[in-house]
Amino acid sequence: MMDFGTPVLEPGSANGTKQVPQFNPYQDNGGTVASIAGDDYVIVAADTRFTLGYSIPTRKISRVLKINDKVMLGTAGMQADTCALHKVISTRMRMYEHDNNKRMTFNAVSQMLSTVLYYKRFFPYYTFNIVAGLDDKGEGWVCGYDAIGSFEQRKIVCNGAGTKLMQPVFDNQVDWAQSWDGAGKPNLSLEQATDLMKDAFTSAAEREITVGDTLQIYKITKDGIQLEEFELKKD
Amino acid sequence: MSGDGCVAIASDTRLGQQYQTIAMDVPRMFKMHDRLFLGLTGLYTDTQTLYNLFKFKLSMYKMREGREISPETFANLVSSTLYEKRFGPYFTEPIVVGLDKDNKPYLCGMDLLGALACEPDFVTLGTSTEMLLGACETFYRENMNEDQLFEVVSQTLMMATDRDCLSGWGGVVHIISKEGITTKTIKTRQD
Repeated sequence: MMDFGTPVLEPGSANGTKQVPQFNPYQDNGGTVASIAGDDYVIVAADTRFTLGYSIPTRKISRVLKINDKVMLGTAGMQADTCALHKVISTRMRMYEHDNNKRMTFNAVSQMLSTVLYYKRFFPYYTFNIVAGLDDKGEGWVCGYDAIGSFEQRKIVCNGAGTKLMQPVFDNQVDWAQSWDGAGKPNLSLEQATDLMKDAFTSAAEREITVGDTLQIYKITKDGIQLEEFELKKD
Repeated sequence: MSGDGCVAIASDTRLGQQYQTIAMDVPRMFKMHDRLFLGLTGLYTDTQTLYNLFKFKLSMYKMREGREISPETFANLVSSTLYEKRFGPYFTEPIVVGLDKDNKPYLCGMDLLGALACEPDFVTLGTSTEMLLGACETFYRENMNEDQLFEVVSQTLMMATDRDCLSGWGGVVHIISKEGITTKTIKTRQD
């Protein structure tokens, strides 16, 4: 149900006691998106649980948008804004393809999303995004965004409700962040990255109530996009 | 975190007032006796006050009973001491870890009013509790030996505090086993 907030007293009315109902345009629908990039692949993972407070209206919602067969967008936060944003991005992507007669590259998409988000700087989309894709050389990359479009290109990003639980694990296992000299830093294979992603989400689902149900893992390689589904806790 | 016949407690060593760092060598864990540790996160004056109070209470207990307190009894003592100040609490969240008389690990976390949360595997508290929780949930395994336990505890402590600007600047790990206590300091990022 929409939250119209509690009526508040508005200063400046005749005796300072006029009541005005306030409308809160934002909702948190939970969800977590994460991505690991490698030399010749990138995987995008998102859980499918849709929450509203303590209820689960549906257990099967997609948070991921396929831009083309090299780039994908994952969004956590408010579902209505996610849909609106995905619609805008799809439209802009199609316009770009017609104007320039070519597919949008990973860099083009990542820059466009930043612009689209910042365009609503003072009434932002309540969304936390990642853009993952292969660059011109076929190398995997991922960009992480805040709600108003500031972003960073990295090899590993996670965004949304489970970030706090998952990020330290990725730092340790992918970036080797706690190693003194970086010796023995692994170059994760697609299978290793997928397994790590499953482990991280399983742990997050154990302790964060807005994460759970199903994990969708999209694997982007030069051969196209493959979807793997992995069951998480349902309680 | 518990292991096979051993248990570990670890903390960072930063003392700060919000974003201001006061000291970088302040572990928040206290040895109550040879098989029992108390960890106190939160407001440091309360940490010190409570440590002194429990040191006193344990001396009294030892004199009256002629033996050391068991971890479970001590956890209940801490809990009731905190609840005595229900409407003007100590701003601290304690962890009690130890080995009981059968060398079984005992670990228990509490909120500032003394609500007990005893876990068989691991307990996390403080500013990086969520990051620690995620890391522990991923890396904890049942029945680890002392070396494995040390590795997991120190790695999880480091990876969690590295993502928390209010924690870090070194760490200390105590491993309690029936042979005794092993204490190791770990070097972490200094920022």
